Amino acid sequence: MTTTYASRPAAPAARRGPAPSPVVLRGLAGLAGLVAVLEVLPRTPLVSADYLPPASTIGRAFWNLLGEGTFWSALGDTLTGWGIGLAIAVLAGVAAGVVIGSVPVLRAATASTIEFLRPIPSVALIPVAVLLYGTDLRSKLLLVVYASFWQVLVQVLAGLQDADPVAQDTARSYRLGTWGRIRYVLWPTALPYVMTGVRLAATVALVLAVTAELVIGAPGLGQQLAVAQTSGAVPEVYALVLTTGLIGVAVNLAARAVEHRVLHWHQSQRGESQSR
Amino acid sequence: MQRRILGLALAVVTVAAVAGCGSSDSGSSAASPAGDGKTTQVTVGVIPIVDVAPLYLGQKQGFFSSRGIELKMVTAQGGAAIIPGVVSGQFQFGFSNTTSLMLAQTKGVPVKSVVNGAASNGKVGADVTAVMVKKDSSIKSAKDLAGHTVAVNTLQNIGDTTVRESVRKAGGDPADVKFVEIPFDQMPAALDGGRVDAAWMGEPAQTIAKAQGARAVASPFAETHPKLTVATYFTSTKIAQENPDLVKKFNEAMTESLKYASEHPDEARQILTTYTKISGDVLTKLTLPNWPAQVDTASLEKLAGLGEQDGIFGGKKPDIGALFS
Repeated sequence: MTTTYASRPAAPAARRGPAPSPVVLRGLAGLAGLVAVLEVLPRTPLVSADYLPPASTIGRAFWNLLGEGTFWSALGDTLTGWGIGLAIAVLAGVAAGVVIGSVPVLRAATASTIEFLRPIPSVALIPVAVLLYGTDLRSKLLLVVYASFWQVLVQVLAGLQDADPVAQDTARSYRLGTWGRIRYVLWPTALPYVMTGVRLAATVALVLAVTAELVIGAPGLGQQLAVAQTSGAVPEVYALVLTTGLIGVAVNLAARAVEHRVLHWHQSQRGESQSR
Repeated sequence: MQRRILGLALAVVTVAAVAGCGSSDSGSSAASPAGDGKTTQVTVGVIPIVDVAPLYLGQKQGFFSSRGIELKMVTAQGGAAIIPGVVSGQFQFGFSNTTSLMLAQTKGVPVKSVVNGAASNGKVGADVTAVMVKKDSSIKSAKDLAGHTVAVNTLQNIGDTTVRESVRKAGGDPADVKFVEIPFDQMPAALDGGRVDAAWMGEPAQTIAKAQGARAVASPFAETHPKLTVATYFTSTKIAQENPDLVKKFNEAMTESLKYASEHPDEARQILTTYTKISGDVLTKLTLPNWPAQVDTASLEKLAGLGEQDGIFGGKKPDIGALFS
């Protein structure tokens, strides 16, 4: 800890270098604490090691998983469902959002429908998905796309609504066409909202992909989890849960990186990098 | 800027798609072209449990590919997803316990059993399923189950009907047994935590519970009938009528697989590691079912009778001859 504080004054220059920032170190310390608790707790009479194995056992199971072909193909299946589903949801959400958001009549006409459809939990569609597509990739996609589409759409609509009316009027008086107004006025305003929507959608898509595999039995990490569960292989269950957690972290970091890149000009991102 | 987003999105999709392709290849590599050069892809809906080991073993031994069948197994969490999958044509064949098939038939679901699946090994005290209790439980025999809570994986199915029969045979009142629904894999914990007084477990839950000190007090399958046909492979009546040749080939390949598995129990045990995560002690200790090539009609009549007695068929009577012929 002392070294961290000692290095702190030099932080602005060192941040890009190999020395990790105190924030990261504190985060790692928290993680190490959790692992320590998980290692000790199963050895006490509080919980049974049969149902919560020590962290080291879980770690070993995780290491073994990495050497299995089935694990990697399951990971591929999960990422495929996630990636395709997210791509469809983002493209459809942005397209629908721009069309609806830039035409006031459409916006008024669809508002109630969107508010009705949006809160339907995607998992409630599992029976429908099973009847339509069975354990196919398509049933996974149905759930993933349905859940993440709304995240994007709602953000796009909110972003378009946020466009400065003066700027819009100015664009009109300069005789910019519909496309020009979308391109130069609406889209730059909406973009930060869109990126937030994409980031939320990326996480939601992962949740739904794993859920579909777990419940329906579509191939992927969720299905492996179900198999480990029925086999009574408790350490493997935790190792797979850990895997999905790590993917979640990776997805979130990647989404943030993309957001940071795309919005490098935006106040929010510039503010963030300065305050750090 | 937009181009960059699009590029990133494309990159993600491409990477994911490539990863996906890699995985699907590994699944079908076992299949080899048939003698006459014609290969039919057949999808079978299964539950990833011990009972379906012959199917995987038969695939490995080439009993299916030699008949022009390229097998693809799809694992579902429970039988409830398999029957609709077969009826809607997503799977050509499925694996289900026999009570579920009778239930489906009495509800007018168009299914037809095509070949045997698994049977009780007939050993009271060492069968594929058992009613387990905690080491220090006051329950000593099936008779004592009356007045207690027993966990089964599915209510109104093969578990509770056969457990009632065990209680009846031991001289207890089956009406006094209270059943609750808990998945097999959660039963050892439920029993250990005292949430239920007893649990009807299949494998590997039974072996796991035994390792924790639990005792078996009843063997419902063996006690119902020593040769009880527990599960069979089935298809839809549509496929049975329109593609009798495929059904015949599947029946032949499966029969050969059942025979092979019966003769090579160690290989059957080993194949479990390819489609389940059972390993170590549990793998070597778990009880295997019997895999006779033929269904036992008398045992199915008995099972149907028990179901009727418990009223699970809604007053109807399953037609054993039509379903399992």
